Amino acid sequence: MIRYLGWRIAHAAVTVIVAVSLVFIAVRLLPGNPILARFGQHPDIEKINELREQYGWNDPIYQQLGRFFWQVATTGDLGNSLSRVNSSVNDELRQRIPATVELTAAACFIALPLGVIAGVAAAVWRNRWPDWLCTAGSLIGVSIPVFFLGICLREVFVFLPTSQRIDPLLSISGNFQSITGLYLIDTLLRGRPDLWLSAAAHLILPALALSTIPAAIVAKITRAAMLDVLAADYLRTARAKGCSLWRCVWRHALPNAAVPVVNIAGLQVGLLLSGAVLTETIFDWPGMGTYIATAVLGDKDYVAVQAGAIVICLLFVSLNLLLDLLFVWLDPRIRLSE
Amino acid sequence: MISSHPSSLTSRVSPLVFILAIVGCTQPPPQTDTLIYAQASDPRTLDPVNTDIAESVHVITNVFDTLVSYHDETIELVPSLAEKWTVSEDGKLWTFNLRDGVLFHDETKFDSAAVKLTFDRLRLKKHPLLFDDVRPYESAYAMIDRIETPDPLVVEFYLKEPSAIFLTNLAMFPASIVSPAALAKLGKKFADMPIGTGPFKMVQWNRDQQLVLEGFDKHWRGAPPLKKLIIVPVKDNTTRVQRLKRGEVHLVDSLAPHDFDAVSKEPQLVAQELSGMNVSYLSLQVEKSPLNSRKVRQAIAHAIDKNALIKTGFDGHAAPAVSMVPPAMWGHDASLQSYPYDVAQAKKLMMEAAVEEKFKLPLDLNLSVMSQARPYMPQPTIIAGFLKDSLREIGINLTVSGRDVTEHFDHLMSGRHQLGLAGWTSDNSDPDNFLYQLLDPDNINEKGNNLSRFRDPKFHELLLAGQREMNLEKRLPLYLEAQQIVFREVPVIPLAHMQLRAAFSKRLSGYHLHPTGLVRLGKVKLNAEAQP
Repeated sequence: MIRYLGWRIAHAAVTVIVAVSLVFIAVRLLPGNPILARFGQHPDIEKINELREQYGWNDPIYQQLGRFFWQVATTGDLGNSLSRVNSSVNDELRQRIPATVELTAAACFIALPLGVIAGVAAAVWRNRWPDWLCTAGSLIGVSIPVFFLGICLREVFVFLPTSQRIDPLLSISGNFQSITGLYLIDTLLRGRPDLWLSAAAHLILPALALSTIPAAIVAKITRAAMLDVLAADYLRTARAKGCSLWRCVWRHALPNAAVPVVNIAGLQVGLLLSGAVLTETIFDWPGMGTYIATAVLGDKDYVAVQAGAIVICLLFVSLNLLLDLLFVWLDPRIRLSE
Repeated sequence: MISSHPSSLTSRVSPLVFILAIVGCTQPPPQTDTLIYAQASDPRTLDPVNTDIAESVHVITNVFDTLVSYHDETIELVPSLAEKWTVSEDGKLWTFNLRDGVLFHDETKFDSAAVKLTFDRLRLKKHPLLFDDVRPYESAYAMIDRIETPDPLVVEFYLKEPSAIFLTNLAMFPASIVSPAALAKLGKKFADMPIGTGPFKMVQWNRDQQLVLEGFDKHWRGAPPLKKLIIVPVKDNTTRVQRLKRGEVHLVDSLAPHDFDAVSKEPQLVAQELSGMNVSYLSLQVEKSPLNSRKVRQAIAHAIDKNALIKTGFDGHAAPAVSMVPPAMWGHDASLQSYPYDVAQAKKLMMEAAVEEKFKLPLDLNLSVMSQARPYMPQPTIIAGFLKDSLREIGINLTVSGRDVTEHFDHLMSGRHQLGLAGWTSDNSDPDNFLYQLLDPDNINEKGNNLSRFRDPKFHELLLAGQREMNLEKRLPLYLEAQQIVFREVPVIPLAHMQLRAAFSKRLSGYHLHPTGLVRLGKVKLNAEAQP
């Protein structure tokens, strides 16, 4: 097990290094210059060149990359933001990660049960209306672009908050201070049910928008896995011996269909964490997605972009590692050597 | 059979009840002491010397005061932290008498040392209390030779040359007076928690979420009517307006034209529009053939139907420009009339130029365009398309090259373009800021804004005289003559002056759009009911 874990961690580290290197190079190939952008209407070429030299941007890119990895490995410091003066990227990300985690968790909370229930229903009532509904719903869910869905939700549910995490007026009353950064938890810890309701209301639309694609994918995979299992001999035998349909489904079929479902659900959670950029931007959600989108599109903030990439890679590979370990636990037939 | 089962009914209804409960509970109670202002993005820094980003400036303006300030509604200069001032006869020594009894938010006393520190941070090459090298406005204070503080309430500025724009530059936000004690104590954290003497003091800044300011009870003008001011970033134009309509925020700015029209129809809202101190223009690179021919430049000017351009490229929310100096500003030459839209005349000029300069028609020219919207030009690509169609009529085949905004201006500043779209938002209320910055030969270099590389000795002489002349009445004819030279030589074709737009709740009183674009909320009141 330890050997397996070591091998998986090494694999994950290589993945992070390759991904971050690609981002590091790609962001420097983008048009625009973050220092020039900061001078606005009043560029001072002499000073811009001084700063380029100071940041080491005149060196070959492999040297810059080497320096960056060395700095991260030895100090853990991802650098200072180029657009937000004197602001440590570590601090910026620390403030934003909880917002993204809370949004992702809420989206999973909607997507996973919905996807599993829809997939099971579609398999049980195969070729009947629940199946058609699930198939059509999955197709629409996968096809509809998140930004379009987000805008539609914003226009339809006008009675729900469409921007930010919490009502500003409520949050300043009583001087609410966050503890963990997860507002649904912090508001309860602070004994503020009014703020909890506000935080929940602000979460509904972005979480709904973010959950559509994973819910659709989980439903499709669950349906396919359940159809396989439901056709198996042992279930036919169980039914013949008088086991009720729903007992067979929940107690016997679903656990056996769980491996592919958990696999795809885990991947979806990873994708949600990394892919919340559009949803966060549409709903002004102050998470990592908004931060990285602003860094790429607005400020060309190299440091912020590469730091964001590292964090997302780390989250993604950690999640995959956890999933692999979960499979071993879920299905003893899976051997570590496999 | 679902309806017969009470628990099923409950399970179906409860999500709806839950949502309604949430919505009901999150409606903010009516209040009059806290104003919520939504702007397009979060500030990047709040240290006045390190920024020129509008969203930072909106906060800085309310946290700090300057020595002199603008009148609430006009661009007339009025005393602020300086009660009065005198100028020596040679125009090189400016003596300011400071207001007594003014406190910074950290309760330390405002005095001449704070003024000296503020300007030293702006102009000296190195300063121990300067935490970022990017100072966009450094050049605006380069005329200061040294600063003396003979008394805590007297400060003397010794200038290298007499400068008629010095006083105007003191009213600009970079010259906001900072607290020396806070700078020394907070160090680089000052950029997050700035301390000034302004009507509001910083309380809390959660990046990308909300910035909370509190009314400063000991402000020298008296406590502001608002107890709290919350500034929230809402990037999307439509969401900003939606939140305003729902009463979640009270004031929004940077409205898209169609949103402005929609807000104008809302009975509970006020939509304000005001001609801004800006210009969008077409730069013609006069060092390159055939644009070195005045006739070609004049032909291009005749070929552009500015009224149609305003409708197409600005959604009708801009004024056609004749001069680089906007009409709302002092020094604008009202006698100038735009080159009339006259395709026949334009073709005639092109034919004459072709013979004189020995080139063949049709001409192939390139237009450089920024790919992002700018405050003075919301739809650069559409404007480029319009110009392409217009110039085809007179025998010019235009190719359009779009670039990222920073790359675009780099390209223009280094003179690599033929035609280029550009614009300018004024830093101060002086015509010098448009004419000298954008057209004077002193500004032809890699960091200069004379993108057309226009050189005219008479024009240069007039502008230098204008900078030295302290008498406003004597300055005016100098700028009028300078504008006529630009009009005749056409190194640029002024296209439009964008309007500033804001929308707010009718419960708000005392708010006015200011021509400088400054958002000053020290006198704003939030009433319980809508004001007529």
